[in-house]
Amino acid sequence: MLILTCPNCGERNITEFRFGGEIKRNSPKPEDGASDALLLANLYLKENRLGVQKEWWYHRAGCGIWFIAERHTKTQVVEQTYLWEPQP
Amino acid sequence: MTVTSGAAPTTPLEKQQASERLAEHPSHQIERNQPLAFEFNGKSYSAFAGDTIASALWASGVRMFGRSFKYHRPRGPFSFTPDDTNTMVRVDDEPNVRASSRLVKAGMVVHSQNSWPALNADLMSLTSFGSRLMPVGFYYKTFIRPKAMWPLYESVLRHVAGLGHVTPDHPDAYFDQQYHFADVLVIGGGPAGMSAALSAAERGARVLLLEESPFLGGHLLYSRHSVESAGGAVEPYLLAGQLAQQVQNQPNIQVEVNTHAFGIYDHQWVGAVKNDRRLLKIRTKALVIANGAYERPLLFENSDLPGVLLGSAAQRLLHLYAVKPGERAVVLSANDDGLQVALDLQAAGVTVVTVAELRNAPNPSLTAKLQSLGIPVSPNYTVTAVQGSNTVSRVMLAPVTPDVQTVVKPESVTHEAVTCDLLVVSVGWTAATALLYQAKAAFAYDERRAELLPAKLPARVHAAGRVTGSHRLETQLLEGQLAGLNAAAAAGLGSPAPDSLASQVAALKEAEPIRNAPAVYVDGSKKAFISFDEDVTIQDLRDAVAEGYSSMELLKRYSTLSMGPSQGKYENANTMALCAEANHQGIAESGATTSRQPLSPIPLGALAGRPMEPVKYTAMHTWHIAQSAKMMNVGVWKRPEHYGDPLREVSATRAGVGLIDVSTLGKILLRGKDVPKVLERLYTNKWSGLQPGRARYGLMCNEEGIVVDDGVAARLDDDTWYMSTTTSGATSVYEGIEWNLQSGWNYQVHVAYMTDTFAAMNLTGPSAREMLQPLTDIDLSNDAFPYMGARRGLVAGVPSILLRIGFTGELGYEMHVPVGYGLYLWETLMAAGRDYGIVAFGVEAQRVMRLEKGHIIVSQDTDGLTNPFMADLDWAVKMDKPDFTGKPALVRAAQHGVSQKLVGYKMLDANLVPEEANQIVRPNPDWPIGLEIIGRITSARYSPTLKQSIGLCWLPVEQSAIDSEFTVRIRGELHKGKVVSLPFYDAEGKRLKS
Repeated sequence: MLILTCPNCGERNITEFRFGGEIKRNSPKPEDGASDALLLANLYLKENRLGVQKEWWYHRAGCGIWFIAERHTKTQVVEQTYLWEPQP
Repeated sequence: MTVTSGAAPTTPLEKQQASERLAEHPSHQIERNQPLAFEFNGKSYSAFAGDTIASALWASGVRMFGRSFKYHRPRGPFSFTPDDTNTMVRVDDEPNVRASSRLVKAGMVVHSQNSWPALNADLMSLTSFGSRLMPVGFYYKTFIRPKAMWPLYESVLRHVAGLGHVTPDHPDAYFDQQYHFADVLVIGGGPAGMSAALSAAERGARVLLLEESPFLGGHLLYSRHSVESAGGAVEPYLLAGQLAQQVQNQPNIQVEVNTHAFGIYDHQWVGAVKNDRRLLKIRTKALVIANGAYERPLLFENSDLPGVLLGSAAQRLLHLYAVKPGERAVVLSANDDGLQVALDLQAAGVTVVTVAELRNAPNPSLTAKLQSLGIPVSPNYTVTAVQGSNTVSRVMLAPVTPDVQTVVKPESVTHEAVTCDLLVVSVGWTAATALLYQAKAAFAYDERRAELLPAKLPARVHAAGRVTGSHRLETQLLEGQLAGLNAAAAAGLGSPAPDSLASQVAALKEAEPIRNAPAVYVDGSKKAFISFDEDVTIQDLRDAVAEGYSSMELLKRYSTLSMGPSQGKYENANTMALCAEANHQGIAESGATTSRQPLSPIPLGALAGRPMEPVKYTAMHTWHIAQSAKMMNVGVWKRPEHYGDPLREVSATRAGVGLIDVSTLGKILLRGKDVPKVLERLYTNKWSGLQPGRARYGLMCNEEGIVVDDGVAARLDDDTWYMSTTTSGATSVYEGIEWNLQSGWNYQVHVAYMTDTFAAMNLTGPSAREMLQPLTDIDLSNDAFPYMGARRGLVAGVPSILLRIGFTGELGYEMHVPVGYGLYLWETLMAAGRDYGIVAFGVEAQRVMRLEKGHIIVSQDTDGLTNPFMADLDWAVKMDKPDFTGKPALVRAAQHGVSQKLVGYKMLDANLVPEEANQIVRPNPDWPIGLEIIGRITSARYSPTLKQSIGLCWLPVEQSAIDSEFTVRIRGELHKGKVVSLPFYDAEGKRLKS
């Protein structure tokens, strides 16, 4: 029964949120006509990291923002949560 | 020495049913001025308030409470804790009640379980003769062939398996749930737990203290074993009372008794159940786990016979319930606790015939005391077997060589038989580590102490008392204090405990005497049960290991050890030792098993709580109900399915005009100059060229190119767009838009979710224009407001968005109005339409009409593998757009072509309507029943307009040409259908565009 810190609302029970998928390291968006292997890897293969994972969360029962959490997949320690920013 | 309730019983029956008790003592939990009567298996018994069912029955001479799971062996209480699984009984209509924890109430009707026809004459006990046919894991090897017998096996096993019986006419019971928040949660109300709670509370923490039994005090109330090192100067029950009083007087400690914690979850969330009724959901900043230890059984022949009790069980009977455990007792001891129990028994008037001591040199002063009372103590002795029919009548004793690791084979030594009715076994303790395991503690096996103990605790988790191996009172109190101070500090209150206290506790723990016998079993016995829950013997364990299930995890699953209602509490220590031995490994190497929530059985009602089903109503709901509409559930919404005759609704709408409530549709308002860019990337089709006042059908795919939603989006003015989605897709489409905007698209748009803000209704039919024009200033003529147009204006004085779209295939106007005006506009339209023969129509009529037009319903006609090309939606996919969701996958799909297509069909028998999901088949001898499944029906209805059974179905592409015939299997019979072109009705759309 995790506690997540919404960047907007603060600490809330996990039941208020919806998981939005892991953010994989080195995940290029496939171009049109990309090879089957690249398309497959992008769409279906998960990294499933043991360690600190970056992932999307949606504050479904609250303010409705999407944010990124960095969570250790074994100890369940959530290191930080923050809004997405465009990379320079 | 004994005190009876009422007149002294004289007849054997009276003696059986009367409840004789020991002289009064402050540690007793029974109220002697509140006698109660209850029934067990049809006979009446007496009890006192404060008695558990088990203590009351034992006091009345009942020893056998039930029969074991597999072999139906006679069983009775053995620990007098809630984990006495074989004493689960039915109380009134509640099955699987634990007799050792449920308090007696006047008039209770109790029955034993798992025996037929009666407890004393259980025919099922004959299974014990078939034990050779039921070795460990036998169900993996038997009941396989012949296959035709499976229904018979199933019906027989259904009756034989399981414990307890659920009555279908059980009246509704009330369960509720409660949320608690604490700075420090202490689990366990014994001396360590109370000490921790007091220390944390003194630092200002809000403390919640949970205790499984009805009273605080823990083992201090019935046992002296923690205080013997203090020379017996302290009366433990008095100390328990003092501590409990301090706890009650401390305002920031909340105490919940009759509450057992069943699981620890992430971030210090704890689940507990109070009174077998109320679920407590607890969030705490820090945890102190002080839930004690279980006494460990020794395994020997027939150690499961009623009348064999753990030392602590005998003490609970004596000191909590004032019950004499028996008349003639033998005590088997391997630590000072056992010797103390012998003294307790003697003081209560039990004849202690002899004490068999596994140790070479038992405590000299306690030994001397026993001997001075005429009780012989024999070092290097053990019990090898117990005999009796339904209860102990004889104990077999034999010598052992000093300090053995296992016990010698009984056939190689001389036995002495002792007649008795009680055998008390006190050979060691197992820390109750399951909760700590769930709290992610790390463990180490202490060879010297022969105990698995916590070695490293994560942050915010603390432990004290017997659960960490501390059995002396001094250690328990100081360790509790240490844990309480550190827990308060972890919760942000005060600084951690001083190092001096930590060192003091560490030194005390080092000096703890060894309490566990190295031996766990008497060799060579077949009937030595490791698990009383599942009837698993030592031989079963050895057989499982020999079959290759040698790792603890495999062994547990194959043998079902630790998988019963007590979750292995009295089995795990012995299982670990025996598994290690069978593998020729040390216990540390062989390991332990995981501990999963729940730790004890929870009633399903407690988890369910009070039922709450949220329902959403549209603005026009009351009107539908008043018209006796048959309502249906669409997600959490209630929608009218029809108003009595859906086919009449279809005909009337197509002939005149109909009105349907479509308020449940997803509605999203978008504003900003970048909206076209957003829509272009969300949908497969193009939007940039859409002029204000126009609407367009949109198709949405996911990253895999699978169709996930469709709807109409309209451009209301230069910067304002209005999007609709399916009812079930509303929230996910909105979430998806927001995700895209917040995770990288970074466009200048505002998005507002309007699904519940607008009510919507669709007026459709050839008379729609004529009927509606008088109610609005908007020019509804075909030139001014053509098909796929979008307008804003007043209708019957209500501000409205009007969309001219055509799901049903007739001239129609969909009106979206602020929800507060919904009912008014609806009633106004229904009144204005009276002269035109207006009908209200529901979801069913709409389904028929859209089917007549060949319109798909996403996720009914399409599924998780449908791309647009398979459903003839190529026209909606604009591959020349630079980027949209799913494009790379769709490029690939376009290259590979389709293998299946969604097509329209007619049944050759015009009146035969298949069921949706009926399979389309072709003959193929390689398939079971000779039929290969090549497709399925997704939509099927009788069309009153065409007087014909029509629908949509999936077919292989090579069989999907117009006029191809196919075979569909309807309830086992084969029927023919034919592919036809879509739409079925008004192919040129003349009626729609009129």
